[in-house]
Amino acid sequence: MKLLLVPALVVLAVFAAALASLFRWSLLEFIPGSLQTGGLTLANFRGVLAPQYLGAIQDTVVLSALTTVLTLVCAYPVAYALARTPSRRVRSVLLVLTLAPFFTGAIVRTYAWVLVLGNTVVSWPVPMLFTERGVLVGLVHFSMPTMILILAAALSHIDPIYERAAASLGASPARVFRRVTLPLSMPGIMSGGLIVFAWTLSAFPTPELLGGGKVKMIANVVKDLGLDSFNWPGAAAFAMLALALTLALLTAVGRLSTARAS
Amino acid sequence: MRPRIVVTVLVALLILPLLGVPARAQNALVVSTWGGNWKDTVEKVIGKAFTAKTGIPVEYEVGGTIDRLAKARVAKGNPLVDLTFTTTHVARLYISDGLYEKLDMAKLPHAREIAREALRSDYHVGSWAYVYTIAYRPDLVKEDITKWSDLWKPSLKGKIAMPDFDPSHIITIAALMEGGNEINWQKGESRLRQLKDSVAAFFSTDAQSQDLMKTGQGPVQVMLSVNAYHLQEQGIAVKVVQPTDYPGVVGIDTMAVMAGTKKADAAHQFINLALSREIQSELVKALRAGPVHPGAVVPANLRGQPGIFLSAAEWKERGYIMNDEARAKNLPGWREWFTANIVKK
Amino acid sequence: MIFRLAVVGLVAFMTLPTVVVIAVSFNPTAILSFPPAGFSLRWYENVLTYPQFQRAAVNSLLVTGGAVALALPVGTFAALALERGRLRGRHVWAAVLLSPVVVPGVAAGLGFLILAAALGLLRSRSVLIAAHVALILPFVVRSVWVSVRNLDPALERAAASLGATPWRAFRRVTLPLLRPGLFAGLLFAIVVSLNEFVVSLFISNRVTEILPVAMFNYVVNYTDPTIAALSSLFIAATFVAVWLADRYLDLGRVFLRH
Repeated sequence: MKLLLVPALVVLAVFAAALASLFRWSLLEFIPGSLQTGGLTLANFRGVLAPQYLGAIQDTVVLSALTTVLTLVCAYPVAYALARTPSRRVRSVLLVLTLAPFFTGAIVRTYAWVLVLGNTVVSWPVPMLFTERGVLVGLVHFSMPTMILILAAALSHIDPIYERAAASLGASPARVFRRVTLPLSMPGIMSGGLIVFAWTLSAFPTPELLGGGKVKMIANVVKDLGLDSFNWPGAAAFAMLALALTLALLTAVGRLSTARAS
Repeated sequence: MRPRIVVTVLVALLILPLLGVPARAQNALVVSTWGGNWKDTVEKVIGKAFTAKTGIPVEYEVGGTIDRLAKARVAKGNPLVDLTFTTTHVARLYISDGLYEKLDMAKLPHAREIAREALRSDYHVGSWAYVYTIAYRPDLVKEDITKWSDLWKPSLKGKIAMPDFDPSHIITIAALMEGGNEINWQKGESRLRQLKDSVAAFFSTDAQSQDLMKTGQGPVQVMLSVNAYHLQEQGIAVKVVQPTDYPGVVGIDTMAVMAGTKKADAAHQFINLALSREIQSELVKALRAGPVHPGAVVPANLRGQPGIFLSAAEWKERGYIMNDEARAKNLPGWREWFTANIVKK
Repeated sequence: MIFRLAVVGLVAFMTLPTVVVIAVSFNPTAILSFPPAGFSLRWYENVLTYPQFQRAAVNSLLVTGGAVALALPVGTFAALALERGRLRGRHVWAAVLLSPVVVPGVAAGLGFLILAAALGLLRSRSVLIAAHVALILPFVVRSVWVSVRNLDPALERAAASLGATPWRAFRRVTLPLLRPGLFAGLLFAIVVSLNEFVVSLFISNRVTEILPVAMFNYVVNYTDPTIAALSSLFIAATFVAVWLADRYLDLGRVFLRH
């Protein structure tokens, strides 16, 4: 049974090889204005410990956490409806509407939000475009279909008999939800939450387009360094730092989630 | 589920992609360039004429300035393309790693006819020019903007958009204002800091810049002249300024031959054709960029406009040409300073 | 009642960009304006005749098809191993399996580019497929794991005690029970791969370029509604696919196992 993990580990090894190919560069000295690199140095790591880089990591974690919580709250009702509705037609409609944003493509969805959040369609009381608020809306919207599908799959495993039993014993719908449905759907919540959190940590097009250059998440900084500045050593060092921190975070959260789910 | 069918489909899906890459013309000249209108123009104006003249087909690798550089860097010695279009200062990066071949000037007779400023180095030569200058929507901004220092006016707060992938232009201008230039640019730091809260948005692509102007979210921009003229053609009222205090900052796009290419001759022929008076005239019309050949025919609506230089004198007076090496060297530092001091809230 | 209103409101929020995109795709002028200033099909015409999109669509079919074909079985096995394999440090393995999702696309893209060059694979699709498998695997694992957690081993033991071989028990008992997670995993795999452009941008060229990269290249250069039209076509295809799936697969049985 343990051996079943091996194919996945092979895939990850290939991925790790790709990352290692980049991370090699983090130890080379960056010479601005040239593609040549100098000798071995730790200067890149010192450089990325600057406030603007650490700040981007912090902003990313906070934004991702907020996104996860909000997505969970927004997705749960839709997932519940999708998994529980007796009507085949309603389920099809819900499924199509959940899947449609997926197939609109990341770039296009973000452009649509640029239109909606800019003051051309609706006039907003507070500026939405090019702010963190706007990016948050974009990120939540981006993650909703994923969360809905995972939650629906999880909810589908819960036998409605439990809920009916609780109700027949006199529990209010709210109580049934709190004491029966919610706990039983914990594995789905944790799974969905974890993947949305992890994916949002590396979000790129949403902050790039909706942030107007003012909202920089980790992926935007890597692009700034690795592409616009053509500083591969700096980009590699920063990517390593960010990856180490986020993986540690994920492990901690993952440990918490498996503990809670069981 | 019918497992046998599923397995067959899965296996088929696995094998298909590995069944080879479609054959492309072996003798084609592969040109690396920006996409969209840039590629369309190179193809229609230069590529077609080249193929008609030599019989050699042309294929295009399309992408952004820097991701094309990344791909060239890793393919060093065994290039995937034969000829590269890129901006003049990024070309310095290519040169620093030996990615370009020295140009054989004997094979480029038309190079003798072009402006001296367009002969950038032994390895790369200009194809067309433009400026980054102030462009704005007079219908949305009810005041005249005539000089760079107007950008600092409080009435323009929150209306300005500028590039953040390359802040060279505004940094250079601010430095010039304080008696410095792109080499001792720190002189302009305090002046730049004053702009911090004036910027509504920063853009990272041509398309974003045009969008911001179209929607009016960034009605005053440090804009690439070509993009501005493109919008004018679409009927958007954009005014392009020839600032009276300091000129617009010139950008020159260049061509070069990749080191290790097997089509060096064809590449040289392509470049030579691109520098000829006829092709340059067509390029001006199609791109709305300035020619490197002073004898090129310029349509009436573009004559006298910023970024379109019609004589050797105009190259000197109507645009500020940055030092390529200084720009390439300072760019990473500029970006870092700019992000920390201007972009960050 | 409140519940129903909430669901409608949330679905409306989710659908808003879709509506905007479809509306914008009919705009007669080259401006992304909403509501559209008229009705025109010119952008649809542009999409269907743009040669780069045609080539990219075929490439996407090949790359996504290959990646999904690999990721589904690999991911399912991994989910089973994680839940049943009695691995020490299970959450560490789980985090490791999730890690490709966390890595910024530009970093992974550059890494794969450098690796491909070192292996002499710059012109081949195999690196593209390998990258896609790595990027969609976490989603497959997570989705299937949800269903694996809900598996009652008693059912498989019962099959075994009735004489089924492990493989037969897997095929006839386990796999059907994993259907919700597998279905979700399949969906994610397809969607993530069909939308992946950041990493793919680096490791593809004009011959191997996949659709999202072609769309990205279009969108950074042109500001007309062509991509909105392309997306609308995708959405229409989704409608058809879901309708078909519902008719022939009965999605209810996929989602509700009772």
